[in-house]
Amino acid sequence: MDTVHARFKDKIGEVLLPGDVFSLSVPEGGDCIIKREKIICGPGLRRNGEEVQVCKSGILRHKQANLYWIDSQQRRYIPTKGESVIGIVTAKSGDIYKVDVGGSEQASLSYLAFEGATKRNRPNVQVGDLVYGQFTIANKDMEPELVCIDSCGRANGMGVFGADGLLFKVSLGLVRRLLAPQSEIVKDLEKIFPLETVVGLNGRVWVKAKTVQQTLIVANLLETCENMTSQQRQTLFKKVAEGSF
Amino acid sequence: MSLLENMSPMKLCVPGERLCSTEDCIPGTGTYLRHGYIFASLAGYVLRKNEGEELPVISVVRETEAQLLPDVGAIVTCKVTSINPRFAKVHILYVGSTPLKDRFRGTIRREDVRATEKDKVETYKSFRPGDIVLAKVISLGDVQSNYLLTTAENELGVVVAHSEAGTQMVPISWCEMQCPRTHAKEFRKVARVQPEYLQA
Repeated sequence: MDTVHARFKDKIGEVLLPGDVFSLSVPEGGDCIIKREKIICGPGLRRNGEEVQVCKSGILRHKQANLYWIDSQQRRYIPTKGESVIGIVTAKSGDIYKVDVGGSEQASLSYLAFEGATKRNRPNVQVGDLVYGQFTIANKDMEPELVCIDSCGRANGMGVFGADGLLFKVSLGLVRRLLAPQSEIVKDLEKIFPLETVVGLNGRVWVKAKTVQQTLIVANLLETCENMTSQQRQTLFKKVAEGSF
Repeated sequence: MSLLENMSPMKLCVPGERLCSTEDCIPGTGTYLRHGYIFASLAGYVLRKNEGEELPVISVVRETEAQLLPDVGAIVTCKVTSINPRFAKVHILYVGSTPLKDRFRGTIRREDVRATEKDKVETYKSFRPGDIVLAKVISLGDVQSNYLLTTAENELGVVVAHSEAGTQMVPISWCEMQCPRTHAKEFRKVARVQPEYLQA
């Protein structure tokens, strides 16, 4: 019995290119019966009538029970609703701040979208400040909108930050690995020295350690550990931990 | 053009030009009366038509065919050009079933998209750039502003829309349309099809 999952199974873990198709139709004259199953197509896969097409180049991944997606490396960020990002305030105009989030357009952030902000009590935001916020509107037809407040009205860690420290840019894949629940990179980093980090899904990371030298070391480590296997990374981190003191 | 056959060669005029006296003609569109004479108020062609009464009617037209302008209460067909959290900008293409030569600009405000639950309307879930929308004119606007339109009725709203994959979508309810190729559903404020256009 041939199933739809079997067609995907041989390709899990393989590199696929845009244009590759998985045909879901029954072959003519065959004895095999295709069971009707539900498959969820994640990012990078798109249904086109009777077939599933690959839209992005990357590795096919699978998660129980029926979720398939393409894991792709990308450095360019596309704003998506609900994602938390680090932005840089570039301009103040009337009621809104213009924030650069690394996308094609600057996002707008209303001055009322901060905790405890009212028309009389304006938040203390200057041009050049770093803000951590979430997108409420983010699509290809409109200008994206950020808020530093959640649906209950609390800041929840969002808002202006970054008095000291260093902001740098990494690829989106590394950022997702850093934000995963049991991230090994974060655990290894914590062992070296204590530090504060803010990770934005637009590829921007802000770190702050006790001294400037430590901050720079951490920034360099994060930028280089992107293409390393976990073995290489752990040996590197160990060398740094021993050599720094 | 048929209009040229039963008329003398067309004369051009500018606003303020004296055309004739009230004894010769009756003033029509594009003209005004002053001190017993008829003056032009538009720049265009002078048309003299014999209506069958005693005096011919003199009028000034921009083009030889009369342009139908959208009036308050008229149903217009328009195409969405850009959207904004507060309103959607459209180009008016047809007034009723007559195509327009120029594209007039219109605005559909967020509170005019639906009749119920006006503050919960999201423009992104009602219209997208490129959609063809049936709307009604509620106001002609000032000199600078555009026509104000509304879709707050069952028969008004999105008629033709293309999905993100590029194919034309099929309406499945008053607020959703589905792409036949990718089977993805998208939100739109869909116009109800008139019963006479439905095939049994």
